[in-house]
Amino acid sequence: MFDRFDIFFVQQLINGFSVGLVYALVAIGFTLIFGVLNVVNFAHGEIYMIGAYAGLLAIVFLAPPWVALILLVLAAGIAAGVALERAAFKPFRRFRDEASLKSKAMRESTLLSSLAISIVVRESVEKIFGADMQAIPRAYADAMQDPIVLGELAVASGQIAILAAALVMFATLQWILKRTDIGLSIRAVAANPLGAQYVGVNVDRTVIATFAIGSGMGAVAGILIGLYQGTIFPAMGFAPGVKAFVAMVMGGLNSIPGAVICAIVLGLAEAVATEFFGQGWADLVAYVFLVLTLVFFPTGLFGAGRERV
Amino acid sequence: MTTTRRGLLATAALAPLAAPVATAQPRRILIGYQLPLTGEFSQYGERFRNSALMALDAFNRSGRLPVPVEIVFEDTRSDPREAVAVARKFVDNREIVAVLGDFSSSASIQAGRVYAEAGMPQLSQTASHPDFVKISPWQFRNITTQAYEGPRVAEWMRENGVRRVAVVAIQNDWGQSVVSNFAEAFRAGGGEMVATQFFNPGNREFRAILTEIARARPDAIYIGMFYEDGAAFLQQRRQLNIRTPVYATSSLYEPKLVELAGAGAEGVFLSTTFMATSPEPHVRAYVEEYRRRFGSEPNMFSAQAFDAVNILLEAIVRAWPEVTRARVRDELAKTRDFPGVTGVTTFDPETREPAKTLARMRIENGQFVLLR
Repeated sequence: MFDRFDIFFVQQLINGFSVGLVYALVAIGFTLIFGVLNVVNFAHGEIYMIGAYAGLLAIVFLAPPWVALILLVLAAGIAAGVALERAAFKPFRRFRDEASLKSKAMRESTLLSSLAISIVVRESVEKIFGADMQAIPRAYADAMQDPIVLGELAVASGQIAILAAALVMFATLQWILKRTDIGLSIRAVAANPLGAQYVGVNVDRTVIATFAIGSGMGAVAGILIGLYQGTIFPAMGFAPGVKAFVAMVMGGLNSIPGAVICAIVLGLAEAVATEFFGQGWADLVAYVFLVLTLVFFPTGLFGAGRERV
Repeated sequence: MTTTRRGLLATAALAPLAAPVATAQPRRILIGYQLPLTGEFSQYGERFRNSALMALDAFNRSGRLPVPVEIVFEDTRSDPREAVAVARKFVDNREIVAVLGDFSSSASIQAGRVYAEAGMPQLSQTASHPDFVKISPWQFRNITTQAYEGPRVAEWMRENGVRRVAVVAIQNDWGQSVVSNFAEAFRAGGGEMVATQFFNPGNREFRAILTEIARARPDAIYIGMFYEDGAAFLQQRRQLNIRTPVYATSSLYEPKLVELAGAGAEGVFLSTTFMATSPEPHVRAYVEEYRRRFGSEPNMFSAQAFDAVNILLEAIVRAWPEVTRARVRDELAKTRDFPGVTGVTTFDPETREPAKTLARMRIENGQFVLLR
């Protein structure tokens, strides 16, 4: 057993870390939206998929430079997020009385409305582009998929890009939340929507801003991961979406740093499980982690603090 | 109206007398073809029908039989229940001497039970489940299974000096059969299986698996999966800079594989029964006519159906003039060295499993190249 702790094990940890970063990239936007609305946005995986398709269309028709590509995808994600909020979440906030604002039923209806939107979007994309994986123009795919060999170890250029993207997103989000006015109102609404409204925070505008930020980040995650894995297809958002959800729950539902750390732990656990038990067991290990967390830390590993988001 | 009825009555009265004459000299020969023409598998049924019409027209033009052969197409959506209903209908039609189809193994097996009981020869172009031909001596198939392909890949590797192999396959019935059939033959030939990994369907993250098998330092990796998974696998192998040669199941023969995997697909070895770019004249003739007539590229599925129809027509020719269900079955079982577009095909008279020549290919410069 101990003969497994060699250079390949180090490679395995690198693999797991990069898988964890993929989950983390999805989990950041997901957790932000949950933190503010206290409800799961089931369509986040589809925003991620829309980001990948928007990026792919831009690559095929415009072949833009990388910065322009990311900005285009960011814009597409923001537009999709705002549209999603308008279609699936806004209709359930139309009553301003206290009972409705506190009503769990009103909030939980958005579970179904976001799920409905996600199905409609996914099926439509399937109808338009087909259910199979899209081919990616070589120049862009190679830029994210080239191996970088370090002695016996190897990483892909895309893994570096995803690490950088995760750091930038995380830092930007912390800066927005802690240093800007909109960040202040997001934190206020997250902590207490009713109280925020009483002190004059525009809750609607804040929710829309949250969706714009979270979805923009989700869409950028989609194109980066889609290019790096070479797998752009309509159901691509499902698997990372589920893992991001698990990471969010493990992290304590509304802690973004917690979700990021748990996402990386999940990725590492899956790689190590593949190493010792085979890939068929990797998912099981992830869910065992989730169950253990819920049993021993019912509020999640990082959810004890009072500050939300 | 009355005349017609009287006519009918007269025919009915004469029928017992006329019957022996009719079997001796039928005015036409009918074949049933059950296939999915609607529903989620309709694109396959469409290909089968296209190929069947091509084969049939050519046959009737050739004048090898004094009477025309016709095919009755019935849509089953490849649904096992509808397949049974269609099978009953075909069995009740005394004119039908043999049946082609269905598409999926489950539909073919359900229909096969009806045919087994009624004594109707059935030839499926695609049913690859091991149980299908075990139903009764009336079932035949024109598709090789892993029980056939695995040992041939094992032999190919031995010829190339591969001693240690790692196998990666999808976790389902088919993936299991890829591993078991290959492993048995490879071990029997003195080879060593150094790692076996199954992955869950839907998983496209192969780095952990690749790292795990790279540690075992195999001479080659054998992969049993479909082309989308294969593309992700090959691409990630390149990212991890693992240079071990890869052999793949014939399921990876799909031009899109190269598009998706790019440089990762270079050098992959795989075998196939049908190759659209084959230089052989009869394959080229088939591909060109299919393209001209239907405006699309034929693939492995269209080719399987084309050969299945021709194999059945050959059996009918051999049975002529006594074309009965039992005779057609016996003649089908005698199919030997049939020169099809999916390779030279022989049916084992006992197991009714096909043996075909498998062409060996390698991906070079983004092209599937036939190895000699």
